[in-house]
Amino acid sequence: MTSSKPRIYPPLYQRLYSVWYRHMRVYTKNLFSNGLPPFLEPIIFLAGVGLGLGKYITESMEGLRYIEFLGMGLMVTTAMFTSAFECSFGTFVRLEFQKVYDGMLAAPVTVNNLIIGEMIWAGTKGLFFSFSVLCILSAFGIVSLPRGLLAPLVGFITAVMFSSLSLLVTSFVKNINHFNFYFTGFISPMFFFSGVVFPVSNLPPYVRPVAEFVPLTHAVRLVRAVCTGGYRGHLLLDVLYIAAFTVVVGWFAIKRLRKRLVS
Amino acid sequence: MAENVIAVENINKSFGSVRAVRDLSFEVRANTCFGFLGPNGAGKTTMMKMLYGRCTRDRKSPGRMDIFGYDPMRNELAIKYLSGVVPQENNLDEELNVIQNLMIYARFYQMPLKAARERIAQLLDFLELSEKARSKIRELSGGMKRRLVIARALLNNPRLLILDEPTTGLDPQVRHLIWDKLRQLKKQGTTVLLTTHYMDEAFQICDVVLIMHKGRKVLQDNPRNLLEKNTEEYVLELFDPDSVKSLSGHNLLEHVRMDSSQEIARLYSDNVEHLKTLAAALEGGHFFLRQANLEDVFLRATGRALNDKQ
Repeated sequence: MTSSKPRIYPPLYQRLYSVWYRHMRVYTKNLFSNGLPPFLEPIIFLAGVGLGLGKYITESMEGLRYIEFLGMGLMVTTAMFTSAFECSFGTFVRLEFQKVYDGMLAAPVTVNNLIIGEMIWAGTKGLFFSFSVLCILSAFGIVSLPRGLLAPLVGFITAVMFSSLSLLVTSFVKNINHFNFYFTGFISPMFFFSGVVFPVSNLPPYVRPVAEFVPLTHAVRLVRAVCTGGYRGHLLLDVLYIAAFTVVVGWFAIKRLRKRLVS
Repeated sequence: MAENVIAVENINKSFGSVRAVRDLSFEVRANTCFGFLGPNGAGKTTMMKMLYGRCTRDRKSPGRMDIFGYDPMRNELAIKYLSGVVPQENNLDEELNVIQNLMIYARFYQMPLKAARERIAQLLDFLELSEKARSKIRELSGGMKRRLVIARALLNNPRLLILDEPTTGLDPQVRHLIWDKLRQLKKQGTTVLLTTHYMDEAFQICDVVLIMHKGRKVLQDNPRNLLEKNTEEYVLELFDPDSVKSLSGHNLLEHVRMDSSQEIARLYSDNVEHLKTLAAALEGGHFFLRQANLEDVFLRATGRALNDKQ
């Protein structure tokens, strides 16, 4: 604020909340079709492992039964997927087709408020999706409560981290079909090579640095630690990675999207 | 005299090598309706967007902008809080119904729930949408959607209402309804700023019209003065260009201004008798003798040739 006049418009938290509220209202309008699949998806996954694949995998992974190992990982991958979709296809549609931002930016909201509100919303969806997986996992006794209750929080920060990346990607995209490259080329491979379906330590030595470089690996490590109570010092590095990634990539995303929203 | 709500001095805006707004200055008095008139690509929308921070003016040029005492580059939020904006394209949330669309925007202004509900009921009544309060957006006609976007812009009782082509593509009834509402708002103390390429719209509701062309101000005045000062009083339109030839050599032609395109020729004069005489001398072809209107001023001011944005 450079003006000496008193502030007449709503405070920052209200501006962020308004953006979040808009997305929440639109999302929950179709509560059934939006809210049920997050619960069904883990059931299908676990059924596949429990009924079939599981009996071939008898070896424990990082001291866990395979169904535990995979189940915990799913709590962050679901957050990653929902956030990546929300802030790529979702953001693009709001930006280019629905012109939603034209309306919102006419209200007392800045581009920064808008994008950060978008990230908090993506985080909230991540929290919800993680929570749905947790419900299923705990119902089958795969993750024990109350320890597991922290997992949705990891889902939240994972989703915020991926929202920053997805928004940055969106800032480059001119044609909505180009998101396919992002998903096939980056998001899907991460699902397989970030320690979700098998431990990163089993990767060949020359691939391991790549696994450490990509964001999902750190989220997976964090969620397993939370679920097993196996806190170790090096987790701090994972937390730092996630924080630094979100801030740096988020900053670039805002900077680039601003150019697209304010000409 | 009423105070100025907006003061803009020597503003420029370039997009790459395209100069969208060039050295534009104008002032808008409180409780008036100010209209930007110009062809597509004239810079009207860009100018409006600069007022509320959706577009940034060129920093290199020394221009100044003052809206309620705020500069959009520094205090966009204060300006947005005091203004309502109706963008060129309707952008309602299709998933939500009419009331819900307005309720989510009430949050942006931190309106208490009860006050928001009352204000929304009042606005739906004002824009004659009360019956549609619970309708889905896709059930609304184009005119209803437009009125709803206007209602949304009015949520916070704005002192300044900015409308980008408020009635483009709407039927005559809705256009007249919207004009009526804008007149009422003006009476209630709202300053109205709009863009349009409809002459009748500018003539109907604007106190001051600024004609823009290629980013520049061409003319600015109230609509009546624009007419009186910038064009002759009468026009004789000839719909068959060949019939013009039959007038060649007529001594009255020296006293009229002729403007012809491929399909139509227009003869302008302050003396209606001259035009009547010419019409009588025509050999065949349809003609129409009428009073000049803002369109004639506009065409004269902005030229006939289409630019690449039209």
